[in-house]
Amino acid sequence: MIKLHRVSKHYPPDLKALDEVDLRIEPGEMVSIVGQSGAGKTTLLRLLIAEERPTYGNIVVGGWDITGIRRPEIPYLRRQIGMVYQDFKLLPKKTAAENIAFALEVAGESRRRMRDVVPQVLKIVGLHGKAERYPFQMSGGEQQRVAIARALVHRPKILVADEPTGNLDAITSQEIIDLLTKINDFGTTVLLVTHDRTIVDHLKRRVITLKDGRVVRDHVGKYTLA
Amino acid sequence: MRFALQNAGRNIWLAVATVLVFVLMLLTVNILVGLNVLTQAAIASVEERIDVSVHFSKGTSEALVVAAQDYLSGLSQVKSVEYISAEEALQRFTQQRRANDDILRAIDTVGANPLGPELIITAHTPEDFAFILEALSNPTFGDAIEQKNFSDHEQMIELIRGVTYKVRLFVFGLAGVFALIAILIVLNSIRVSMYTHREEIGIMRLVGADNHFIRLPFALEGVIFSVVATVIAALIILPVTAAIQPALTSFFEGATVGLNEYYLAHWYWIFGLQALGLSLLAIIASTFAMGRYLKV
Repeated sequence: MIKLHRVSKHYPPDLKALDEVDLRIEPGEMVSIVGQSGAGKTTLLRLLIAEERPTYGNIVVGGWDITGIRRPEIPYLRRQIGMVYQDFKLLPKKTAAENIAFALEVAGESRRRMRDVVPQVLKIVGLHGKAERYPFQMSGGEQQRVAIARALVHRPKILVADEPTGNLDAITSQEIIDLLTKINDFGTTVLLVTHDRTIVDHLKRRVITLKDGRVVRDHVGKYTLA
Repeated sequence: MRFALQNAGRNIWLAVATVLVFVLMLLTVNILVGLNVLTQAAIASVEERIDVSVHFSKGTSEALVVAAQDYLSGLSQVKSVEYISAEEALQRFTQQRRANDDILRAIDTVGANPLGPELIITAHTPEDFAFILEALSNPTFGDAIEQKNFSDHEQMIELIRGVTYKVRLFVFGLAGVFALIAILIVLNSIRVSMYTHREEIGIMRLVGADNHFIRLPFALEGVIFSVVATVIAALIILPVTAAIQPALTSFFEGATVGLNEYYLAHWYWIFGLQALGLSLLAIIASTFAMGRYLKV
């Protein structure tokens, strides 16, 4: 469960990126977070992985109050949340398999477990046979699949995707969303930040609309900005 | 270690550039080491040529001169004492002045050997001569001494001592400047390397790597670069010092400078210390340079 209680994030001199946001996301939900540029979507995600700290309010992720999380604890939090980014954020000098294995290595997993798990995850995201390719040898859709595989390899309870289709064509975007839906069907909570109306309308899931740092709509259904 | 080697191998040009900078830095440091060895050799060569000749009065018994020799040889400040008999002293005197007919004729006129025995004393350092001179006032043989030519050399010794001090001070100052430049070069090259890896470091943080896990491969990479650079520098320096050895000997008028011998005799600590120092510098520099990219 993710719970935000009156969370605000202010930047000097007077920018309110988030303003008194209250949210509760139940385990297993798939939620789209929409809003115009500057609405506070990315700030919200950055708060969830402790890349930023709230100015006010409380954030609880999976029963862990991360509001005042200490720096040495941040890696442990991030190993429990799978993150997928618009620009993939793959390590350019590592192959697909190594990128995925890296997420396990940082958690101190054994080589044997890596050898077992990495091919399985590659198969789930449809990249079986492309394990030894470097990011520059793959298409945008394939790179995003590697990023999703890396996010999944820990079997996280929560997967957060920040504009995962932003750099992809319509067909590839739909494939990525189908993959995220499949992951959600297995019980993982998925938070999808997007401003792609087609995707949100197609999903027909819960949609949280942000505007000027505030939640202005929280409903199940289609994409709307007000 | 696997990450460090993989990282270096897959960023080969960055690795080559960094190692090259390290090698240039080490060559600079070794020029300084060589300069220091040459300076010391030059000073030692001049100091070795300084001696004091003690001329005993004509007719002084050999036993007294030998007693003086034994006494002086027992002093810790004395390096060597050479005994020259009156006959030998005359022989050397005529040999040195064989072109001067007037002097040779004067000796013939005298008919007998006008010279007494001599002791030629060398000391470990020029500073020791003052003590040795004092020791020569020993009443047992002091009265038999006709002349001590130390006073002739005194000015020269003082001059050499002054020059030696200034040269050492200059080399020390130069070492400081070179060391500072070398440190700045290494810091900058590591900063460039970290800047190149900044996105990678950020991604590592985002997938849950802790600072220690991120820092260690970069620190090990710095150690690998340092060791490789030291080996390359050694492979350049040892043949070069061997090649220039004859030229140095000729420059120092036949005196043994032994720059190559110095490196061969002390290679383990010269290059060991350089590899160690460079590694520490690289580790510290990478730790500081990486800091800003770890705040993700």
